[in-house]
Amino acid sequence: MIYARFVSLRKYILILIAIGMGSGCASTQTTPDNPDPLEPANRVSYEFTDTLDKYLLKPVAETYVDITPELARTGVTNFFDNLAYLNVILNSFLQGKFDQGLSDATRFIFNSTIGLLGVVDVGTAVGLPAHDEDLGQTLAFWGFGQGSYLYIPVQGPNTARDVPDLASSYFLNPLTYVTGAILFPLTAVNIINKRANLLEATNIRDEAAVDPYTFTREAYLQKRQYQIYDGNPPVEGYEDIFETGGGDGSGGEDTGVLQIQ
Amino acid sequence: MKYLYRMFRLLVLMLCLVSAASADDTVASATAMVEDFHSTLLDVMQHADALGFQGRYEKLAPVIQAKFDTPFICKIILSRYWNELSDQQREQFIRLFNRLSIATYASRFDSYSGESFRTTGTEELKKGRLLIRTELLKKNDKPVKFEYLVHQKDGNWYIISVIADGVNDLSLKRAEYASIINDRGFDNLVSEIDKKVVELGAPASSNQ
Repeated sequence: MIYARFVSLRKYILILIAIGMGSGCASTQTTPDNPDPLEPANRVSYEFTDTLDKYLLKPVAETYVDITPELARTGVTNFFDNLAYLNVILNSFLQGKFDQGLSDATRFIFNSTIGLLGVVDVGTAVGLPAHDEDLGQTLAFWGFGQGSYLYIPVQGPNTARDVPDLASSYFLNPLTYVTGAILFPLTAVNIINKRANLLEATNIRDEAAVDPYTFTREAYLQKRQYQIYDGNPPVEGYEDIFETGGGDGSGGEDTGVLQIQ
Repeated sequence: MKYLYRMFRLLVLMLCLVSAASADDTVASATAMVEDFHSTLLDVMQHADALGFQGRYEKLAPVIQAKFDTPFICKIILSRYWNELSDQQREQFIRLFNRLSIATYASRFDSYSGESFRTTGTEELKKGRLLIRTELLKKNDKPVKFEYLVHQKDGNWYIISVIADGVNDLSLKRAEYASIINDRGFDNLVSEIDKKVVELGAPASSNQ
């Protein structure tokens, strides 16, 4: 009974996805030994974004952190996370995680009302924790390959599989439908706050990376794998690195790039 | 005959118990090695200001040297390029990488606000390797998962990979270094890492 329900759900979702994505994905399929066939173009996007970040976004985000109390920043993050949460709810259900989806929906209602439009995270306090789901993870759940790595200017690292989520998270965010004078400051605060939340990660990158482009790509691809498996990726993935080149670590034919799929 | 059969069963049972106990001992000693590393990290964090970067570096150096199988890690990271290096280049790289590891830990674990480590489980992997799952618990923040891949050499356990919240440092460095070697050659990789170590705050020509 449950299996039949899953099969029909799966069929329904696959049809939806096929309609939604069209044939766009076919052109972004990657060879198994290279997740980044578009590297030259991606590197240009990365350099552009990095320059913009270095001279504009990062300094603004650092100033924002300096002048805003942590509690206020948490409130701002909670507010925007809550607005983006409809996409999480949808994707919890699309992955067949019904209990989680119900918990997420209840969390959204709690936070949007008694949590003062999401500013206070009441959900976590009452045992309805935030989950991390998106359409890219849903597609992975249903067996879609990750496709080429894509560095989208300003927006950042993606894979072809993550691109449809840009649309779903946009259309499911109530902020999209806000008009008038409030829109600009809201969007600006959202972007600055998002960048501020990434400061620790980019500081680690700046401190550790000898090739920041490759560092970002590998960290992103691994992090996505971790999210897809809800924090418990199969341990075999950790061992692949020892198996290439006959298991002695000598590499053999490997490309030096971690294979995730 | 029945007596012999009973003896045989008893023997098998004893052997099973002995081997299970020794496997438990082995897992326990691997876990203890990682927990010992964590207690050094906590100590360094708790006295971060008093020690300064140099003090943290000196405190961590012998521990990292003893607990990480750096030659093996370097071989895995450099992958097929390892075979092209002379013995002298390999030794130079191992020394440099060891300094990078120590400097990275000394720089990253530079403050303390009530953090603690917790071992959450172990898993046996291929070829005698073990995965030790741990968490860095933070006050007012989500815990960070630290998973250690360890292997045994000459009866001792060594760390060969650290995975933080799903991001594997070994894979990350292998991809990065391969990219630099492909574009600019091995010598440039060495000078880039050397530059990084100095930027982190370590002395330029230490033999640590």
